[in-house]
Amino acid sequence: MHVTHELELFPDHRVTQMLFKEVKNAAELRQCAVEGKIKGALINPTMLVNPFQVLVAANKAVNLQKIGKMKTRSLYSEIIFNLSPTNNISEAFKRFGSSDGDDSVLVVLVHDKDEPQLLSDITARVSGRQVPAEDVSSLTDHAKIKKLYKITPQEEKCGTLLDAVVCRMASKDIL
Amino acid sequence: MAQEKSMAIPEFLSKAELLKQGAEARVYRAEFLGKPTIVKERFPKRYRHPVLDEKLTHRRTVQEVRSILRCRRAGISAPVVYFVDYTSHCIFLEEIVGSSTVRDHIASTRQSDCSNELAWLAERVGQILAKMHEEDVVHGDLTTSNMLLRHQEDGESELFLIDFGLSYISALPEDKGVDLYVLEKAFLSTHPNTETLFERLLKSYAAASKKSSAVIKKLDEVRLRGRKRSMVG
Ligand SMILES: Nc1ncnc2c1ncn2[C@@H]1O[C@H](COP(=O)(O)O)[C@@H](O)[C@H]1O
Repeated sequence: MHVTHELELFPDHRVTQMLFKEVKNAAELRQCAVEGKIKGALINPTMLVNPFQVLVAANKAVNLQKIGKMKTRSLYSEIIFNLSPTNNISEAFKRFGSSDGDDSVLVVLVHDKDEPQLLSDITARVSGRQVPAEDVSSLTDHAKIKKLYKITPQEEKCGTLLDAVVCRMASKDIL
Repeated sequence: MAQEKSMAIPEFLSKAELLKQGAEARVYRAEFLGKPTIVKERFPKRYRHPVLDEKLTHRRTVQEVRSILRCRRAGISAPVVYFVDYTSHCIFLEEIVGSSTVRDHIASTRQSDCSNELAWLAERVGQILAKMHEEDVVHGDLTTSNMLLRHQEDGESELFLIDFGLSYISALPEDKGVDLYVLEKAFLSTHPNTETLFERLLKSYAAASKKSSAVIKKLDEVRLRGRKRSMVG
């Protein structure tokens, strides 16, 4: 169900993504994350095109953490911030972070080796149905993403929506 | 512990495949986030003042990313930017898998004498460069090695522009004219006896954009200057 990727630049770091639908306790989960009981990022999956997008955000967050240049207070908030095309932190949270009324959530964990304990801890807390993380693509709100990232129709001719989104994420610090 | 520079990237690159060692940058191939990736690493130039060097290197990295984004937004194919690290001056780019440089393509096609195919390519290059200049992107290092051609299943080929390391934004016809002049020099010396092919490229450039006539006029001026200089020197 979940997907785990090793970060090639940081071989002792892995990124795990877990997707839940029909979530009943989004508000409670967010509270757990705020209190540090969930060590992970809770993301609104309708703003995601593909798990690769999360991987790009996580790799950048780990890199900035290592060189001491994060813009936010924790690795997990940095992942959410990195997904956003702008440098406005509160807007990034509003759009890409999980909101209290959401009925789906993508949980992102960064850990050293496969930690089954960590995963079962998350599944125990979420009252919802876990589905394959790749299914995030079926929840994508294409219109909203195109608008938010300001993606032009010409751009979609020379690449996928994912390509366009990833380029925006990678270049937002210099715009 | 907070560090100043990335240690992870040099470590990663030491195991990557080195494709090219240039004067300003090294180009590597590696797998990154599960995808075939090209990494371009700009390194310090010892003869430059360190502070100046750092500034210049940073600016080139930024310009390269900006120009790629600007091109893609206008519908010009250029590699996707996956990740940039400004402490090691590395850009991680999509590898255009299964592509060959326009340079190699012209060389091999001329041997088999498919002049139609090359005429098509020259026109395509002209159109893309016109579009790029319409966006006020000046490439700065146009050669047939900095264009990649990917052959699609359905027969149509896709043309990518790469290596925007010397690029900048300018609306001046002069800058665009020099851009074309650099290409002309490189083109005719890499591919001898292709004057008519290059003419075709310029014709298609001129036809593709309203702004092109001012650029072609500047190109003529720059050519004249170039010739005068070579007569003197
Ligand atoms: N994105 C890319 N995809 C595939 N090959 C590339 C890419 N970027 C560069 N190369 C290859 O590496 C060579 C040197 O790259 P550059 O220094 O950027 O011109 C090029 O001539 C290409 O053969």
